[in-house]
Amino acid sequence: MKALSIAFKDLQILFKDRGDMFLLFLLPLFFIVVFSGALTAIGQSEESAKALIPLPVVDLDGGDAARTLIDGLNAAGGVRVEHYTNQAEATTLLKDRKIDRALIVPSAMGSDLAAGRTVTLRLVSHPDANAGQTEAVRLVVDGVARDMALEGQILAALRQMGEMQAGESAEYQQAFGVEKTQAQARSQFDQAQARPLIEVKQTVPTQPEQPVKLSSMAEVAVPGMLVLFAFLTAQSTARSIYDEKKIGSFRRLLAAPLSKAALLAGKMLPNFITALIQAVVILAFGAIGLQLLGLKPVSLGSDPLALVLAVVLIALCSVSLGILIAALARTEGQIGGIGTLVTWGMGLIGGSIIPVFVLDQFGVLPKIVPHYWANRALDNLMIRGLGLADVGAELVILLGFTALFFVVGLWKFDFD
Amino acid sequence: MPAMLEVDGLVKKYGDFEAVKGISFSVEEGEVFGLLGPNGAGKTQTISMLTGVIQPTSGTARVGGHDLRTQMDEVKKINGLVPQDLALYPTLSARANLNFFGRIYGLRGKDLKERVEDVLRIVALTDRADQAVEKYSGGMKRRVNIAAGLLHHPRLFFLDEPTVGVDPQSRNHIFESVLRLNRERGMTILYTSHYMEEVELLCNRVAIIDQGKIIALDTIKNLVALLGGGVIQVGLQRVDDAILAQLAALPAVKEATLVPPPVAPPPAEGEAVAAKEIEAVPSGVVVKIVAKNSQQAIVNVIGFLHEQDIMLTSLEILQPNLESVFLHLTGKKLRE
Repeated sequence: MKALSIAFKDLQILFKDRGDMFLLFLLPLFFIVVFSGALTAIGQSEESAKALIPLPVVDLDGGDAARTLIDGLNAAGGVRVEHYTNQAEATTLLKDRKIDRALIVPSAMGSDLAAGRTVTLRLVSHPDANAGQTEAVRLVVDGVARDMALEGQILAALRQMGEMQAGESAEYQQAFGVEKTQAQARSQFDQAQARPLIEVKQTVPTQPEQPVKLSSMAEVAVPGMLVLFAFLTAQSTARSIYDEKKIGSFRRLLAAPLSKAALLAGKMLPNFITALIQAVVILAFGAIGLQLLGLKPVSLGSDPLALVLAVVLIALCSVSLGILIAALARTEGQIGGIGTLVTWGMGLIGGSIIPVFVLDQFGVLPKIVPHYWANRALDNLMIRGLGLADVGAELVILLGFTALFFVVGLWKFDFD
Repeated sequence: MPAMLEVDGLVKKYGDFEAVKGISFSVEEGEVFGLLGPNGAGKTQTISMLTGVIQPTSGTARVGGHDLRTQMDEVKKINGLVPQDLALYPTLSARANLNFFGRIYGLRGKDLKERVEDVLRIVALTDRADQAVEKYSGGMKRRVNIAAGLLHHPRLFFLDEPTVGVDPQSRNHIFESVLRLNRERGMTILYTSHYMEEVELLCNRVAIIDQGKIIALDTIKNLVALLGGGVIQVGLQRVDDAILAQLAALPAVKEATLVPPPVAPPPAEGEAVAAKEIEAVPSGVVVKIVAKNSQQAIVNVIGFLHEQDIMLTSLEILQPNLESVFLHLTGKKLRE
């Protein structure tokens, strides 16, 4: 109860500060808009400037339809098809990360298409594969598959109409005039657009198949900014504790019948709440606000519970980091220095400002900061559309960082 | 009647540095007790240990019969603390500050509201209670600071230098509040200050503290009586043990001692030559004379020095008060 009183008081102080309000709630939205545009530019320039992305294709069909698809992929540009006929070989290479991804063409592709049955192409990627490249490949495959399916469906419809007209009377044939044929083709086109005969499903090994979600660079910026700004509240936690010591109220609280645990909990709670509100604002802006600004909205994924859990853990990790900063920094300058270095620095190498796939060259470096795991969890949930079971490792690692920061922070914390 | 506060050999160490060196004293219920000493003497450290802000290194105390080491929760309910800092949230109003601190002491609802109004009345800030504290004058902030310590009806009220940076009007108001709390509500008060006037005005008994040790503890009357009829400090061009003995033997003189010269700070680099030059000039000595009767002693001392052909370089007559008691006991002034 007393911890809640401290939290309520801190929130009162926080919400009276317009500068903090801007920093915590408006700045991330501004960054999202800017970064969405900037990252899109980066993505486009990368796609155009880079050499072709290798795309191993396991052709289990071996027929004309599969050849048409592969020719289409090569012609589309952006990818360089590498042929495989053995799925086990491709799976092993993928597991060992000798290849980053593989497109599996099912064995009955040709006959299924001919019979009008939906064909599923599976794009399997390694969990650590460059997400941007995978997305680029998916877009190419999706485009080629759609064109191919559309063409096939329209041709089939026209063929069907021709067969129906053959052998009928002149009056009847007249009923299938040019206008009628065009209307039938349009209808078939719309149907093909709404229910394509070829769909692409993106998966990672050992994960159940998940439907691919729409992706854009905003979907990189929104989780990135969420993580960056959630961790910025660590600095607020540290500064709040420092200010309390500086004005002397910390001594008054220590002299009150209040346990040290309740005192610390009271100092952590408001910034935990702030980080949660901040996350809600950022996600709402990503899902709704971007659309209102004429930009492409982001998906919140298919597992809201997992998303909530990830956000809660990110907020917890942030306030624990705040306790650690408060314990290590002895002056206002150190709070600012360490806080900025830790929160922005970790954000930079952890994939919040520059997406993780651009930072692949840094090897294990990004993995030593909680931001990386937070970004990875959110990317998997929001971009890849995976579920709780698929981000378990990331969340456990985040929990580990939380415990580590809190224990070391408590150990070093100076109550005097 | 049992003592409200019994302090027994309290020590606080920071590494090798001993900030509080085993102090012991007691404060009776209903008493206003003063801790007088210069800045850095150990007053705040002592109060911090007694209020649970910091842990003593050794020693203990009993507050209202409760042991500091084993019954801190009970001790904290009895204690009220007004820290030396303005321990208030500047962007919140006085009422919001008091509501918060009241809740920390477990007050809720009607009780909390009544207590907040009561303490606002005590410090005469009811009219401006809803204004942000940052807009208050220094004196008004000090008064809110005191109000925050009173919310839970403490039986033992610690005021740590409560008038630092306060205008004379607010200072008088704080004095009146302290005396009223003691006389009308029977509150026991431990008041620390380095202003001897405040301690003389408010306190029944005083402990003089210096370098972490209590060097004198008594009523103000008894402490001042240590000086007899006053203290005279005379600067002399030269003096020796025989002269000192003759000065001490003069009529109306109680004792005569050399005042140790102030310790000069080590010269900074590049200043060594200048420091040597200063040493070469005889600076004379200061003799402290405790008088039985200061006027008679002055006449006798000046006459004796004239007879001995010793040049008088300075003469200072110290009134018999706590300041001169401190000087007498430590050889330095309270505000050095």
